[in-house]
Amino acid sequence: MAKKAPSIDTKNLTAVQLMELDSCTRCGECVKWCPTYAASGQNPGLAPRDKILRWREFMNKSYGIKAKLFGPTEIPQSELEEFKDDVHSCTTCGICATVCESGINTVELWEALRANLVKKGIGPYGKQNAFPKVIGQYHNPYMKDQKDRLNWVPADVKIEDKADIVYFTGCTAGYNQLALAFATSRVLNKLGIKFAMLGEEEWCCGSALIRTGQAHINDVPRQLAKHNVEALKKKGAKKVLYACAGCFRASKVDWPRLLGEELPFEVIHVAEFLAGLIKEDKVKWVKPINKTVTYHDPCHLGRHVGVFDAPRYVLSHIPGVKFVEMENSKEFQRCCGAGGGVKAGLPDLALGVAESRVKDAVEINADILSSCCPFCKRNLSDGRDSLKVDIVVEDVIEMVAEALGLETS
Amino acid sequence: MVYFSGLSDALRMTFVQIMILSAIAIVIFLYGMIGNLQKWGTGVTGYALEPKEGQKGSAIRFLKTWWAQVTAESHHSGKPILEILILDILFQRRILKRSGLRWFMHICIFAGWMSLFALSGLMFSVEMTEMIGIKLPFTAAVFREWLAIPNYIFGYILLIGVIIAVIRRLFVSEVRQASIMYDWILLAGVFIITISGFIADGIRTGFIWSFGLDPSAAPPAALFHSIISLLFCIAYIPYSKYIHVIATPLAILANKGGE
Ligand code: SF4
Ligand code: SF4
Repeated sequence: MAKKAPSIDTKNLTAVQLMELDSCTRCGECVKWCPTYAASGQNPGLAPRDKILRWREFMNKSYGIKAKLFGPTEIPQSELEEFKDDVHSCTTCGICATVCESGINTVELWEALRANLVKKGIGPYGKQNAFPKVIGQYHNPYMKDQKDRLNWVPADVKIEDKADIVYFTGCTAGYNQLALAFATSRVLNKLGIKFAMLGEEEWCCGSALIRTGQAHINDVPRQLAKHNVEALKKKGAKKVLYACAGCFRASKVDWPRLLGEELPFEVIHVAEFLAGLIKEDKVKWVKPINKTVTYHDPCHLGRHVGVFDAPRYVLSHIPGVKFVEMENSKEFQRCCGAGGGVKAGLPDLALGVAESRVKDAVEINADILSSCCPFCKRNLSDGRDSLKVDIVVEDVIEMVAEALGLETS
Repeated sequence: MVYFSGLSDALRMTFVQIMILSAIAIVIFLYGMIGNLQKWGTGVTGYALEPKEGQKGSAIRFLKTWWAQVTAESHHSGKPILEILILDILFQRRILKRSGLRWFMHICIFAGWMSLFALSGLMFSVEMTEMIGIKLPFTAAVFREWLAIPNYIFGYILLIGVIIAVIRRLFVSEVRQASIMYDWILLAGVFIITISGFIADGIRTGFIWSFGLDPSAAPPAALFHSIISLLFCIAYIPYSKYIHVIATPLAILANKGGE
């Protein structure tokens, strides 16, 4: 009789990740910090520790010593489906990795588990499964015409045809959150920075596909990365500026991995670029912002890549700004709730997390809750509206534009 | 606390038993460890890859993948290996950053456990050396006396850690509620080994932990302690939560000290 096949396989799961499952000491630190576990009313299935334990059991049932001796134990499909729901109820914020006493790289683990299940035909979650088709076809997740990529550019903004510096707008800022695109381009113009843009040659960065475990479907993210890198090279890019934390992370971490080579240009977030100009005394402020301002670290900018200080440096140099820190900040920041496909797949969960974050800012009496990502801004604004509290949610770059006397509309 | 290794005059009878038990414990450990390495080695060697059709788990694949990750460049954290070994693995600063009490508990168990294990090993090798007729400047009996004080010190360090762990798990509601059998077995094992070590030594010396028991009970008590130590400390590691003593340092090294 043929041996039963295991119910799971190890596609996308590295040998080290499988070992990490056994390194969890079940200390529970990650459970204390997980924002989606908290926002779900402490649904035990969402706790990072629980997810690790469950997959470890799945592994033991399929490939452990007992399975080797007596054959694998079947895992009911319902358990795998339930696991899929839980592993997608995660914003990939990474705080569980930061606090993990065993140093487990949980974000990579969640993404690998998602991809593993998607390859098995289990998942992703809800509307997330539309991403590959939509992004593959339209090259942006909003089903907009690529020809309209630069429709937002106002007459006063000067864009070079080719330049050392290229501003990668991102789909969200380029189609929906135009204030950020206005602010970034006008600030660069005002500071005398010559920059080019990709226009209709700018394709989605692929973040939504990678985060939701769908990177393999039709090879879309790799094609997006390849196309973007080629287009950036054609523009003569030596430095590529990003005002979106999601695109920044995808370009910095995911593109080189997808392409199997280092990028031929530097990847910089606009906040880092501006901090450099301020240090060189090249920024002449024209208007104070007399407000109490706090800063929310986007997970993809902070914990994922380590950019914590530059946005704070910029904010603290804007005249009039009284900078205050929220209790959970920098590497211990609480997520906004939008990342990892949660905004698209589980909007209620995203909103619950956003409300907690807005409350953090309200608690310290901030007038402005700033961030460095249009996606964070969108979800934090939703959280603010649902709580009906009086706080402005604004991007750091928009504040810089204001302090330089520039319009953001 | 003196760790019985089965070679002293009074306990000579148990020598063969101990040797057989040690060998069995090691075989069980190795079998389980190879099983784990093969289980880990069912994984792929890099990002987004897929195992080949019909590919079996391989310990070598695991070790190669692990080493490649340890030596790869990191875009983010990336601390020197020596720093990770000393601060993250030996000093366990990741636990200290999260909770002083939990760190104290864990470091007591870790330092007590490892030191007693090393001292027992040392005692065993001295006795073996004597057995095969190599002359040392001291006898095994003298060496045993020298180790008495360090054994007591590390024994009590271990005991403090174990008592904190038991109290936390029994009386801190958050910890108790989250506990599963997997956690209880680990703790029960460490607890029984520690207490039985103290009792075995107490009976032998007639001091504090003897509970008025006749010294003739010393050999079986010591034997019991040795057996469960061998079973829990060695044989049971690959099959239980004890596997973290191997997997956690490997994970910390692979992830360059963690985020
Ligand atoms: S990455 Fe964030 S949301 Fe996901 S399990 Fe970890 S702490 Fe929870
Ligand atoms: S913090 Fe790490 S070691 Fe602790 S329970 Fe969570 S995953 Fe496991």
